[in-house]
Amino acid sequence: MAEARAKYRTEITQMMFVSGETGDPTPETTTMIEGIVQQQVMEMLKRATELAARRGVRTISTDDLIFLIRHDKAKVSRLRTFLSWKDVRKSAKDSDEKGGGGADAGGVEDFDLAANDPTLGTGPNVNTRTSKNKKAKVGLPWDVSSFYTEQVPEREDEEDEEEEEMNAATLQRLKQADERTKGMNAEEYLHFSECRQASFTFRKGKRFREWAGFGVVTDSKPNDDIVDILGFLTYEIVTLLTEEALKVKATEDALKRESGGDEEKRGRKRRREPGLFDPPEEARTPVSAKHIQEAFRRLQRPDLKANYMKHIPKGTWQRPLKLI
Amino acid sequence: MSQDAPTSTVDGDVGGGPEDLLKSRWAETEANIAKLFGTDGQTRRTSQKPTTASEAAATTTTSAPDNAKTPAPPKRSARHIDDDYGDDDDEDEEDSPKESPLRKKAKIALPNGIHPLAARSPLPAGRALPRAAPTSTPSEPAKSSEDVRKQLEEDKRTAEEAATKSFQSMYYTFEHDKDAMVEQQKLDELDREVENELSGGATDAPNAQQGAGAGPAAASTQGTLGSADLGASSLTLKHLIARIDMKRDMVRASDNQLRTLISEVRKGRSKWASEDKVGQEELYEAAEKVLMELKAQTDYAQPFLQRVSKREAPDYFNVIKHPMDIGTMLKKLKQLGYRSKRDFVDDLNLIWANCLKYNQDPQHPLRKKALYMRKETDKLTPLIPDILVRDRAEVEAEERRLHSIDADESDEDDAPIMASRGRKAPKKGGSKGGPTSTKRAPTVAVEEAGSATPAPDMKPPLPLSATNLRTETLRAESEVQDASSAGFSTPPPGNATPLGVNGVNGSGAPGSQADVTEVDGLGNSVVGSTPEDEDEEDTEFKTWKQVTKRDRAQAAADRHRLFRGEQLKNLNPEEPALIRTKAMMRRWTRQQMAASGKPSGQAEAGESAEEPEQPAQGESLAEGIEKDQDSTLPDYYSSLSAIPELDERFRWTTDSEGAVVPQTEEWMRMYPKEQFKSADGALNRKIEDNMRQMQDTRKICAKIGVVKQMQIQAQTYQNQFTKYEVQPFIEQDVGAVVVSEDGPLMAPWVSRAALQRSVGKIFYHAGFEDFQPSALEMITDLAGEYFGKLVDAFKSFREQPKAEPETSRYSYEEQVLHSLHEHGLDLEALETYVKDDVERLSTKLGVVHDRMRSHLADLLRPALGDHAGADGVGAFNDGSEQFVGGDFAEDLDEDFFGFRELGLAEELGLENLSVPLHLLQNRMHSAYQAAHQGPASTTGLVFPQPDPYEPITIDNVGAQVGLVQDFFREKLHANHEDALVEDEDLPQKQRFPKPRLPPTGKISSPRKRPIREQQQAAKKKRKMEESGKAGGVEVAPIGKLKLEASVGKGVNGVQEPEKKREKGGEEMEVDREVNGGGGEVNGGAGGGTMISPESLAPN
Repeated sequence: MAEARAKYRTEITQMMFVSGETGDPTPETTTMIEGIVQQQVMEMLKRATELAARRGVRTISTDDLIFLIRHDKAKVSRLRTFLSWKDVRKSAKDSDEKGGGGADAGGVEDFDLAANDPTLGTGPNVNTRTSKNKKAKVGLPWDVSSFYTEQVPEREDEEDEEEEEMNAATLQRLKQADERTKGMNAEEYLHFSECRQASFTFRKGKRFREWAGFGVVTDSKPNDDIVDILGFLTYEIVTLLTEEALKVKATEDALKRESGGDEEKRGRKRRREPGLFDPPEEARTPVSAKHIQEAFRRLQRPDLKANYMKHIPKGTWQRPLKLI
Repeated sequence: MSQDAPTSTVDGDVGGGPEDLLKSRWAETEANIAKLFGTDGQTRRTSQKPTTASEAAATTTTSAPDNAKTPAPPKRSARHIDDDYGDDDDEDEEDSPKESPLRKKAKIALPNGIHPLAARSPLPAGRALPRAAPTSTPSEPAKSSEDVRKQLEEDKRTAEEAATKSFQSMYYTFEHDKDAMVEQQKLDELDREVENELSGGATDAPNAQQGAGAGPAAASTQGTLGSADLGASSLTLKHLIARIDMKRDMVRASDNQLRTLISEVRKGRSKWASEDKVGQEELYEAAEKVLMELKAQTDYAQPFLQRVSKREAPDYFNVIKHPMDIGTMLKKLKQLGYRSKRDFVDDLNLIWANCLKYNQDPQHPLRKKALYMRKETDKLTPLIPDILVRDRAEVEAEERRLHSIDADESDEDDAPIMASRGRKAPKKGGSKGGPTSTKRAPTVAVEEAGSATPAPDMKPPLPLSATNLRTETLRAESEVQDASSAGFSTPPPGNATPLGVNGVNGSGAPGSQADVTEVDGLGNSVVGSTPEDEDEEDTEFKTWKQVTKRDRAQAAADRHRLFRGEQLKNLNPEEPALIRTKAMMRRWTRQQMAASGKPSGQAEAGESAEEPEQPAQGESLAEGIEKDQDSTLPDYYSSLSAIPELDERFRWTTDSEGAVVPQTEEWMRMYPKEQFKSADGALNRKIEDNMRQMQDTRKICAKIGVVKQMQIQAQTYQNQFTKYEVQPFIEQDVGAVVVSEDGPLMAPWVSRAALQRSVGKIFYHAGFEDFQPSALEMITDLAGEYFGKLVDAFKSFREQPKAEPETSRYSYEEQVLHSLHEHGLDLEALETYVKDDVERLSTKLGVVHDRMRSHLADLLRPALGDHAGADGVGAFNDGSEQFVGGDFAEDLDEDFFGFRELGLAEELGLENLSVPLHLLQNRMHSAYQAAHQGPASTTGLVFPQPDPYEPITIDNVGAQVGLVQDFFREKLHANHEDALVEDEDLPQKQRFPKPRLPPTGKISSPRKRPIREQQQAAKKKRKMEESGKAGGVEVAPIGKLKLEASVGKGVNGVQEPEKKREKGGEEMEVDREVNGGGGEVNGGAGGGTMISPESLAPN
């Protein structure tokens, strides 16, 4: 069963690697992650379909998907960045096809990478882009601009506070990645950057559709944007899970060290302080399924907000799955 | 005497029977004292002295030794002689309510010379002759016996008080009241029965009749006679009180004193009093009280109230030879069938013994009751003074005899005398009371005496050896009893020596001593275990039931009376109204104070401190006395009393003319304004700013929409665009509301509307310009419920049980935070809302607003950006200046596009309300492209408007070029010599459509005709086609012109003129068609003015 389901083992491993798990996770771990991600994706699709149905539409739109994660503002803004870059890429491609600008070709190639990898956010060629390729902000239906009947183009000088925040979050991630890659040699870095491109959806559209239950959960033909958003979100989920699981594992390790008794304690003792001649991190044991499980549990912990109508009797009510 | 009894019922009117009289009077005086002097034992005890002293001339004091020393006893006897004349003094003395019954009895015992302890030692022989040997009286033993009684009584009282106090702190339901009432009714019935029997059978005894005289009157004829007497006596007293009240300042006595005095005056004489029976009153008073007490234990006494009938227990009389019951005892008592304490006590014990004997089964419920009752009996019997009823004559004779005898011998002689008395006494009783009852008592005694051991059938082996001080003293009493009353079983010589008396007592005294010792035995063994098995009720509840029984029964009966009919569903209109009295209210407050945990002394002190003030507040003496009615019931029994004084302003008062004085007006006030508007806070202000901002932006939006629409549409109409009306948000306050007191205005619907408005505000703030009412309702409901729960939580946190009495368990901050947390909120969430949804929204709105503004500006003044002049004049450099300065806007002073109304005029900065060119690009380029192609001046000069062409009239036609003069003249002629009208100035319908030049520059289509002509032409064409077909004429589809021309000249030529004549317009049309084509060409080539087709029409 697990084997039959495991379609994204390499991708998940790569994503985990980028997220900080240096070891080689076991198939159980990746399978579990895959299961969680699949569950999340299906839930998202289901809810988005419901939202769309409420609007009287059968096909889900990007807004429906974004609406589901609207409370995680950082994520929303990252997603918007991702989408706007996607737009840029598209228009750039178009213009490239038309104009056939050879000078831009190299840039576009780079650009593909960057756009596909949301964590990179603003790519290296931000300054090189032409005004035509300027990324357009992805508007959301609950944005202020939609309060009004007329849509007016944005002006250049406006910078959202939110955008700044989002940039801050993105920068934080970039910084982390930078820290990690600092000590890498060219080979390692190549591996790392390859791993960064891992995606559930990129160039695996069909596989993903089957996997996510398109046609089952939602009977709509998904458009590209939705698949891309899902790809982005799945990446986020894996990252979050891995980070949380690493935290869990760190706590566990700390506890083990405290209490002693572990047989690898002696071996670890030396390495407690990261030293100059430490063996590479790969020597660490990778996160296991139980860590993932615990991380998932932690992430599922209900918000305080969920209390707000608790006085209303709900019968045998099960807390809905929390989207992470 | 008979007058006295009703008098006493004045205050005891609540009680139905004689026992009620007694008890209520007692309780009442007790309460009175308590009120006057404070409740704690010390003060009360001391306070009794002055009262007794003041009330009576006799200097009798409470303590035994004093009594013994004072000359009171002789006086006492003297007074008894005086009793014929109804002297009030000794009545007061005897009933002195200030004293505990025990003491009373002790005192009572003294004058009669049969001090209970007298027989204990040889020394107090002088007791019998108090006058002879007052000094020799040993105070010590007397005291101790006195103390025991006191102790007992005090215990009982304190227990009762404690119980009463506990009633205040505990709520007892009324459900047992009915039982109490029923039981009480039974008791009353029993009394009545006894009385009836007595009055029927014992008429011959004058004493009995006398004694019963007051009793039946109060019991059986309670309704009429009692109330009549009562009314009369109370009336007299009321007069007295009124009198005193009137001359209050002349009376030199404090209120308290007066009150005491009056209550004393009202005391009645006992019904047992008899002038020629020494000691009868005292004994019977006590005995009756004991009997009543026992009877009042209704839970237990019930089975013993009446004689066992044969029907109930067929074999009863086989087992029990001497049946006895409380009813019989009462009867006997009323018939004066008891001669001594022992008689009485024996009878009592006989009841229990009978029961125990008959019901051998240890599990039998009646046994428990009997045991309980026996315990009670043993508790109560010490209260009965040990008195032997004797004839006065005998006593006096004895006294006389003793006078003659030497004091030394007195102790020797005393006993025989007593014995002789004792022997004589039964005879007396027998002669007076009914023969049966007198007989019975002796027989019992004999039987017991005969068995030598105390009634084996009724008592377990007695632990005689385990006597303590109490039993010792009690034994002393019983010794006396033995020696005196039951003396016939022992020979007089035995009595002669005190030792002999003791000896006799030890062996042959069955009655009271056995009881007393048994008390202890039982108290330790049997009784100790009984409460659990015999009654599941807790002791507190039991005490409650017992203590308050009578009052509850009374209350229940009162309540019962209020209703009538089946099911008691209807109110009884006959009953007097329930009226709240001040006394009840005071009582209620007192109880409240007592119950509120204040130390009683303090409460009393406060009470007594208040006391002197109260009369000064206009409280009359009568009211003061009214309060004397005190009952053991807690305040919630008299719900009426808990109604506080009506506020002055709510009273219904009338002026002298009977009109109602509207006093409420001055208390009315307007409900403060702004209570139903959102408070003016920083957040609220921000939200409102945001909303205003949104409105402004929306306004701009509307303008943008208008401009965009104008650019798209070829034609715009004034009413095409609905103006965006900005209406400021105004929160309406509630109208003027008049309220009479502080506090929130309780109007749920108004509050809901206010909440709804707030919700709507939030909606708008969240970006919804309008919303469905159902959504608004829904959210309002949810919000209302949520806030309700929030407040609930807050309340529960606020009212948490306090750790310490004063400080709350949670601080205010904690209360708020906890309740927020309970409902899924925390400060962070609130702060996030304020920061993100209000403050950040404000900046975003500002940004969008600016964006909109600039966009609108861009739309309106595209060229304004770089090369416009300071005043924006450069914007017209595109050659629209003639247009801008054109006549049509300024001269007509018309708001063409509704700009003025839409408010665009200000935005455009155009004073003259002309239309800037770029707004009209569409039209300009189509209609006047050719005309305005050339002049592209960059100077920014505004050219003056050229003069309009003069219309051609008959006068100035000569000024025209000669070639066209004829033409014009014809035209003028056709126009009836009026000035010719320019084509442009024609009415819309006659005007030719604007010539449109396609981008190719070629005129491809003929000029269109005016709308009306087109229609007519179409009609005509159809007609002609039909006629053409009919005529078989080949019609070449070249064009209209040719066709019509050929038609006109051809086949239908004959018809044509007719048509012309008929419809001249139509004919003209054809011609104009011809000329029109040329005109168009001309127009296209010549430009500028065009000549109207009419002028070209042939005449």
